[in-house]
Amino acid sequence: MSKHLYRLAPLVLLLFGIAAMLQARDLSLGELSAPGPGLWPFIVASLLSLTAFVLLFVDDPADYEPWTRGTAGIALGLLSLGIFIVLFQEIGFLIPAVLMLLVWLRLFAQEPWRWAVPLAVLGAVAFQLVFVEGLGVPFPDDIVLGG
Amino acid sequence: MGIADGLGEGFSVALDPTNILYVFIGVLIGTVIGVLPGLGPTATIALLLPLTYELEPVTSVILLAGIYYGSMYGGTITSVLLQLPGEAASVVTTFDGYQMAKQGRAGPALGIAAVGSFIGGTLAVVGLILLAPPLADLAVEFGAQEYVALTAFGILLVTYLGTKHPVKALCMAALGLFLATIGQDAITGTGRFTFDQVELFDGLDFVAVAMGLFGVGEILYNLEKTEKAEQIKSRIKNIWPTRKDFRDSSGAIARGSVLGFFLGVLPGGGGVISSLASYGMEKRRAKDPSRFGKGAIEGVAGPETANNASSTSAFVPLLTLGIPPNVVLALIYGALLINGVQVGPQLIDTNPEIFWGVIASMFIGNLMLLALNIPLVGVFVQLLRVRAGILAAFALLITMVGVFSVNNDVFDMWVVLVFGVLGWLMKKTGFEPGPLVLAFVLGAILETNFRRAMLTSDGQFDTFFTRPLSGTIFGLMALVIVYSTVMGIRRQRSGRPPALYADQLDAAAPHETVPGSESEGTAGVAATDGGNRDGPPPAGGGSTRAEP
Repeated sequence: MSKHLYRLAPLVLLLFGIAAMLQARDLSLGELSAPGPGLWPFIVASLLSLTAFVLLFVDDPADYEPWTRGTAGIALGLLSLGIFIVLFQEIGFLIPAVLMLLVWLRLFAQEPWRWAVPLAVLGAVAFQLVFVEGLGVPFPDDIVLGG
Repeated sequence: MGIADGLGEGFSVALDPTNILYVFIGVLIGTVIGVLPGLGPTATIALLLPLTYELEPVTSVILLAGIYYGSMYGGTITSVLLQLPGEAASVVTTFDGYQMAKQGRAGPALGIAAVGSFIGGTLAVVGLILLAPPLADLAVEFGAQEYVALTAFGILLVTYLGTKHPVKALCMAALGLFLATIGQDAITGTGRFTFDQVELFDGLDFVAVAMGLFGVGEILYNLEKTEKAEQIKSRIKNIWPTRKDFRDSSGAIARGSVLGFFLGVLPGGGGVISSLASYGMEKRRAKDPSRFGKGAIEGVAGPETANNASSTSAFVPLLTLGIPPNVVLALIYGALLINGVQVGPQLIDTNPEIFWGVIASMFIGNLMLLALNIPLVGVFVQLLRVRAGILAAFALLITMVGVFSVNNDVFDMWVVLVFGVLGWLMKKTGFEPGPLVLAFVLGAILETNFRRAMLTSDGQFDTFFTRPLSGTIFGLMALVIVYSTVMGIRRQRSGRPPALYADQLDAAAPHETVPGSESEGTAGVAATDGGNRDGPPPAGGGSTRAEP
């Protein structure tokens, strides 16, 4: 089975394509002379399904990279980004930015604390200055700045 | 407007202090990211897209174009000194450039590359000036059928040329076209695939998609690679090439300019293919081809000239037809669209300041690059000390904050994250994000014109084939498909890699390993290694691997 594991990607694409075709059909295809909103999506979803179907058989397994221990790290990195977005919305920019930079500088860049902490704090403050003061981007209310 | 008037207006735009500043920033950033492995022009331009909301349209294109051709210069530096191409088009430079560096001739290699790039870039600007206006005049006659044909042709060529696996690329292009349909239907107003989410009603934001796929996807992908600090061993001296060096490489520079210009105009062309083609040409023409791969200066001068010429001439189809020929240009196209500029044949007339201003800024930018590169190579090399992890952390934060600033909407941050994961998965599974983004950008044009053509022709499908212009283009498309299929089958029979240009690369590559590097997104075949795999670790995101 594991030998065929790489076919998972085309399979997912194929299923996605078929689902998209069904959805597009529900939007009404119309006629060629009066195309409905679903016609074009239906055409491209068909192309997607067709190519994915072909890939099920002709794809080259060597294209697929093995999963490594680093992959777990990626999941962690993604989680940190997700938490950043949620916190950003709730408590503003500064604290989530410092935390995210700390996580990335410590875990992925493996900087020592004496570099990671100042870099994270200075980085976050610099971003705040550039984006909010410089470019006037309205960040969500910040609990640090009491906005 | 004549060429002289146009250029006059162009220079008055480009010499505006703000624009001078931004062309400088652009070429500087371009050089820097060209030097830094792991962050290529595509990722950088994607990351900087939100900035273009703050700028005038012409200024933002000047900036992004500067990054693009600047990165072509920067990529050379690491190719020569470390055999690490900072961006894909410099892969070819490693063949002879690194050998020159080993022989203590790193200086002349970098010098001739800078001079060649300058000449190639400048000549391509001249070509752009001469070719673009008549092409735009012709394109004004285009109807919906022609646009369908051209857009489809562009997508097709990008998926066929320079990608390792055309079917996979086509699959991604289809996905891109599909994603472009999300949101309100422009003609009937029906919400499509929005699942009643208000945020999806305007469709997926192009900036968020591009930043996710190229920016975050790239960074995540590189995280898995073990990075180690590189040591520069060769000392750089005597940057300015000798008279003999100039004599040896003058032919290569001249041929590289012409070759690069024409390959850059073609959809799917661009830096990688031009530099490969130039290397192949020089090697074939050489009296003693065995010198290639052992430090022949023509092997540096030709390809470097060609890739710069092509990065300039790639603007021809964008500025005249509104069709971006590769992914970097698709991003620049997106930047113009979000600024409300209609890109197409009418651009030269309606927005002459953009057309001529960008052209004039290219003259200035190339001059700046020459001035920056010759004396400052040593400084740029120091950049390699910046660790990739630190860069990644800050780049991510820029991405997140940047995409928020576009619509002040947290939803876009989630879109970036989702497309980041998608981009990373695509790299892991050998699907290239380039065709997806290109198709995503062109999706709306393609659909609108397709429906318009259907409406006006009363549903007659043959309207695409009976009109002379669109018929010719579709004929060409059929030719490309047949040709590449036949070639693919023949290659498979003879047991060679099934990608276009893989042969040339195999022939061109000496026994040294060519590590993967960040490509323009369309150029998957770029870093096919010539055989063994025990060289330095891959430089950047390696959508560009191929089996030996």
